[in-house]
Amino acid sequence: MVKDTSIPRHNFITRNQGLAITILVLALLPFVVGLFEGASPAQVWFNEGGTSKFIEGLAIEIFILAIFALSYDLLFGITGLLSLGHSMFFATGAYLTGILLKNFETPLGLTVLWVLGAAVINAIIFGLVLPRVKGITFALVTLGIASVFHIVIMSRELGELTGADVGLQRIPSPAFINPATERLRFYFLALAIMVFFFLVYKRFVSSPVGRVCVAIRENEGRALMLGYNTFVFKFAALTLSSITASVAGLIHALYQPIVSPNTAGLVYTIMALLVVLIGGVGTLNGALIGAAIYRLLDFGLRRYLGEMASFVNGTIYILIVLFLPYGIVGTWRLKSFDIRQGWKRLLEYFQKSK
Amino acid sequence: MKINLRKDLPRWLTLLGLLVFFVVAARGMETKDWVITLLRGLSVGSVTFLVASGFSLIFGLLDVLNMAHGTMFMIGAYISWTVYVRPDTFVDLLTPVLLLLSGFTLSAVWKRIARGLKQKANWLVILPWVGLIVGVAAMIYFLPRYPITIWDVGNYSQSPVTYSYLADQGLINLPPGLPFEEITPLAAVLGLLAASLLTAFGLTTFGARSQAAPPVSWKNLILFGLLTVTGVLTLVFNDPLTLFLTELNTTVLFAIALSVGVLAGVLLGSVMEATLIRPLYSRPIYQLMLTLGLSAIGIEVVRAIWGRPEFVMPKPSLFAGVGDGCPATSLADLWTNHCSTIMLFDGRIRVYNEIFIPLVGLIVLAGIWILLQRSRLGMIIRAGVQDREMVEALGINVQRVFNTVFAMGVGLAVLGGGLAAPSMGLSNAMGEALILNALIALAIGGLTNFPGAALGSLLVGLLQQVIIKYGAIGIPIPFTEIVFKPTPPLVPASTVLLMVFILLILPNGLLGKKE
Repeated sequence: MVKDTSIPRHNFITRNQGLAITILVLALLPFVVGLFEGASPAQVWFNEGGTSKFIEGLAIEIFILAIFALSYDLLFGITGLLSLGHSMFFATGAYLTGILLKNFETPLGLTVLWVLGAAVINAIIFGLVLPRVKGITFALVTLGIASVFHIVIMSRELGELTGADVGLQRIPSPAFINPATERLRFYFLALAIMVFFFLVYKRFVSSPVGRVCVAIRENEGRALMLGYNTFVFKFAALTLSSITASVAGLIHALYQPIVSPNTAGLVYTIMALLVVLIGGVGTLNGALIGAAIYRLLDFGLRRYLGEMASFVNGTIYILIVLFLPYGIVGTWRLKSFDIRQGWKRLLEYFQKSK
Repeated sequence: MKINLRKDLPRWLTLLGLLVFFVVAARGMETKDWVITLLRGLSVGSVTFLVASGFSLIFGLLDVLNMAHGTMFMIGAYISWTVYVRPDTFVDLLTPVLLLLSGFTLSAVWKRIARGLKQKANWLVILPWVGLIVGVAAMIYFLPRYPITIWDVGNYSQSPVTYSYLADQGLINLPPGLPFEEITPLAAVLGLLAASLLTAFGLTTFGARSQAAPPVSWKNLILFGLLTVTGVLTLVFNDPLTLFLTELNTTVLFAIALSVGVLAGVLLGSVMEATLIRPLYSRPIYQLMLTLGLSAIGIEVVRAIWGRPEFVMPKPSLFAGVGDGCPATSLADLWTNHCSTIMLFDGRIRVYNEIFIPLVGLIVLAGIWILLQRSRLGMIIRAGVQDREMVEALGINVQRVFNTVFAMGVGLAVLGGGLAAPSMGLSNAMGEALILNALIALAIGGLTNFPGAALGSLLVGLLQQVIIKYGAIGIPIPFTEIVFKPTPPLVPASTVLLMVFILLILPNGLLGKKE
């Protein structure tokens, strides 16, 4: 029997071709940047290349934002819950890590466990209001809860722990992943965590639970009618999302020596929303691409335009909204068939003319 | 509204609880304190209501969460300040703005021409593009060369802060108007007019080629002529007009400033809806992103033009008297001496902040209520909030109603900004604080419910002022010696907590109906 080669084999690597290439590029990126600067890979390996170290730092920020945006995409894009209190999850992770490492000198492993526990508690708090309010009211209630959290963090009574409106400062990072001295290791760790969560999310979305979540987004009443207890599924998505966001906060606290109270504010939630909208709602890899574009754009504009940056930023968002209706990945998925057909026709045309 | 005690039990219990809370809070204060707190609460509530009502109308009818509403409030304050403190800048700006607008009043004509072009020859379709490019180029050439006397943000002695201070002292000395240097006045007028006509031709004909063109009526032409002639006349009589405005009684000037602000707001809202919001009706969540982007842009524009420092707008003379017989003890005194304060129950009350603003709030509330209940437009709006598609199916031009409501909402926010400027002062952050207040008020009262917006705003204002007052008095906690004093950060937290509690008891707000 002849083996049919036209159908690609559906193993893990072929299905995630784009991801594999991305990981490869990102893994080689510091070394390539080092070469451009004249630093050998060995020097980069021992964190001696200046530019490559800087690029690594920027990339780490993108990874943190990507993990955060990914968690928001699960809640908003996949399950259809518009939450405006998402920054609370992130800030919980960041603040808890900072406080535990600085004031209680907890080992890192235990800190991670504490953060995960706090994330579950956060999810339960949001879960308590979940069955009562829907739609825009849910958004407002979550905004309210997060604002109270924000105000508590900013309050002077807790100033000894949280640093009030200045924020947590001088968080000691464990020596073996200290971003100042061991940045390459930190870079690979952050990359690994991002990829891990991305794969978990992809698996989640294609799992039965994830399919029900999509069904809830499309029509909650129908999902209820089919006999699903929608609350359980929404709560599952909420918990996973909360854990992910808290881990993003944890990496943020390890990477940045300072955690500002802004991380708990509405601004951070809006940032995640913007990233998801730029990338494409409910696409998962859109969150990663959106995070890269958002951070690079913000960084570039701030560097070259200074004061004008927000103005240009706002204009670009408006243009994206008006002309890229489904985000970058969403629009690509809609148009890729047409584009491929166009290429085919072009190639045929050239072949004929020869 | 039918009263059904059994069905609406949670609602009545909540209302009763709120009433008991405020009565208990008032019992803890002296008479003069609670009168002041009540009036201040009304004042904050009124400003919140002006923003919240527009927001609620827009959200109810258009399903657009206009996050730029707070920015509109802020822009309104800055526009009113400009007309009030720097009438010369306003008069200088009037001519180019009117001339640039005039071309857009002829959109019916442009649409007609575009259709004619399409029928004659296909290649003529590029003409709108040519018009747009030439028009924008003309605008870029003529606008910077048009002389406008303006303040200087970088130079402290000529910054808005200084001008405000001088105007408050009555010492303001406006700089002399700039002369035309690079271009002659005639060239400027003709250039701007041409730029406007060409740009309007380009912009209005893009989407309109396939649609049927509306008939050209005399109204369009008359409006066009009116705008152009007013623009030219303002240029000719620039100096006398400036002098007239400067020597005007500040109360009248304040009224003019407010109305100019509202007009500008209505125009801005109308343009915003037609160009930016309209393409996005099919993608609701993207409107959120769009309006957030607009809000960021608006704040940057304000920072670039008026600068970052906060400043205050002087109060109009009707509410600024401090001489003999002030503070007033009776209404007659108040009227004859134009006092800034009045004694009520031995407490000193600022007339503008605590009496005038709530009064305007009440008038606006009554006006909108009558508009909603007694006019044809109000009927369409009320029907549209309930079921938009049905209204459309009945053959009503919903698009136009949408535009009107959006413009009206923005106009209300701008009016709020202009009113709040003399009492709250102007800052880049005033919009953000207010939009949060307005959102909370709407959530409390019911998102699309108009009386709910008023009730929610009132509750938010009262609660904030009560907490502020108790920050000074302190709350003695029973059975202990501790006196709890709420700190300033607790003021926003208290309203947020109230919102969360009310939404958990009544997910649709106090007056909202179940969907």
